[in-house]
Amino acid sequence: MSSIDLEDLTKEYGSTRAVDRLTCTVEPGRVTGFLGPNGAGKSTTMRLVLGLDHPTSGTATIGGRPYATLREPLRTVGALLDAQAAHGSRTARDHLRFLAVSNRIPARRVDEVLEETGLAAVARRRIRTFSLGMRQRLGIAAALLGDPPVLILDEPVNGLDPEGIVWIRDLLRRLAREGRTVLVSSHLMNETAVLADHLVVLGRGRLLADVPTQDFIEQHSPPRARVRTDDPARLRATLLAEGYTVQEDDGRWVVEGARAGEVGAVAAREGIPLLELTDERASLEQAYFALTADEAEYTAAAPASPTVPQEA
Amino acid sequence: MSVTAVLRSEWIKIRSVRASFGSLLAILVVTLLFTLPLYATEGQAEAGSDGDVVFGAFQAIYFAQIAAIAFGAVAVSSEYANGALRVSLSAVPNRSLFYGARTTVVAAAALLVGLVTAFTTFLVGQALLGEDAIGLGEPGALRACVGAGIHLALLALFAAGLTFLLRSAVLVLGLLVPFILIVSFVIGDAAGKAVEFLPDRAGQQVLYQQTPAGGIGPWPGLAVTALWAAAALLAGLWAVRRRDA
Repeated sequence: MSSIDLEDLTKEYGSTRAVDRLTCTVEPGRVTGFLGPNGAGKSTTMRLVLGLDHPTSGTATIGGRPYATLREPLRTVGALLDAQAAHGSRTARDHLRFLAVSNRIPARRVDEVLEETGLAAVARRRIRTFSLGMRQRLGIAAALLGDPPVLILDEPVNGLDPEGIVWIRDLLRRLAREGRTVLVSSHLMNETAVLADHLVVLGRGRLLADVPTQDFIEQHSPPRARVRTDDPARLRATLLAEGYTVQEDDGRWVVEGARAGEVGAVAAREGIPLLELTDERASLEQAYFALTADEAEYTAAAPASPTVPQEA
Repeated sequence: MSVTAVLRSEWIKIRSVRASFGSLLAILVVTLLFTLPLYATEGQAEAGSDGDVVFGAFQAIYFAQIAAIAFGAVAVSSEYANGALRVSLSAVPNRSLFYGARTTVVAAAALLVGLVTAFTTFLVGQALLGEDAIGLGEPGALRACVGAGIHLALLALFAAGLTFLLRSAVLVLGLLVPFILIVSFVIGDAAGKAVEFLPDRAGQQVLYQQTPAGGIGPWPGLAVTALWAAAALLAGLWAVRRRDA
């Protein structure tokens, strides 16, 4: 299977560096989440990989070859950049048909992907009558058309209903399990946390992190344990004496600056019975903001509600 | 990549968008709509009495020209709505191949419909004229019909190339339609010899039985229009290859 390799990839628009000496490899067999604030260069990077924009310097290759040199590229790479790009006057079927014909993909694949994305019933309707969610499904259908080993999806969850979100999560996980390379950008942190095995985080066009999702969250989580006991007064006093900060939260105690192991050791030493003890992990969202706080180009946009759509 | 496959794909794209397929058929429909009243109401006195009898049979050519330009522009401009070009170029990343396929399909479709339009307007118009009608056997008539089809295809290509360059059908039509209506049609005769080298006027030379005084002749005229089309197509190719999509 093919990986996506970026080497020293740089794209300048006038005096602005949208992508700044980006070097990383997107590996097959896992879902890679592509994160970054607005204007961080995610969409530009995807366009560079697909040969749509010309890099100022550096290279982007798929399985070692530039996209533009692939024969029948839809059989190697499936991409969804913008669900609105499908012409409103065409039917869903015609949209997929011209793509299939150009890459000599058998016509039956058109019906298969329509079925797979739940669009079979509306295949002959004009795309302008589609909701954003249906357009996303059509964009995903187009990406799957050539049964490609590499998938590049820009905000595929955008506009999908909860059922659709679960569907695409399962789909992308399955595709990665089959050994494909799956690169997904998203601004929905919780979705990405559940979906992505690995993260590539950009800020102002530069690579900020290229790590497994779990490691990323752990690295950017301050230690904090959550504990429940029969004897809260004694536990609290003991922990305070040890120098921890303790807060009550809904019948439990939240211990700042401590891992569960340390709290357990203290409780055992003092003979305080514990009913519950866990490490509390920061969410991906918290970890992400901890990392990108300085990098956010549009600071006001960063902590906004996750339903705000990101750049096209 | 397979050239045939890309050509087929480009035909599906034009065929499946109502505006581009509709504007292709409009070349024939619009021309006929103007042919019918023109020749049905025109008495024998006007027909062929002054001027060229063969050119007299192509009075609806101005409307056909505008329709052909509209088809060329609209058949390309659908690529410039909402990043549709990105979808096209991800399927066919070889930009010269994509460009060549799209313009070939535009040329073939416009030539076919142009020829049908030329013969239809000639035969229908003459059928309405009655006794003073000329037939395809009239010297220069067959040449005019074939030439008119080629002329319309060249104008469609001219507009297609410009639309690839300017990325907007509205802009291209806004430039070319007034050009044909005003510069050529209204002040054309007063503007001297240079006007004979404009893309629409040069190609029209092929519609005359006798080349008018100062004209450049039927086939040289078409060649001049072909040069205009080639220049626009080269400019469009340059833009498509060079620009970020």
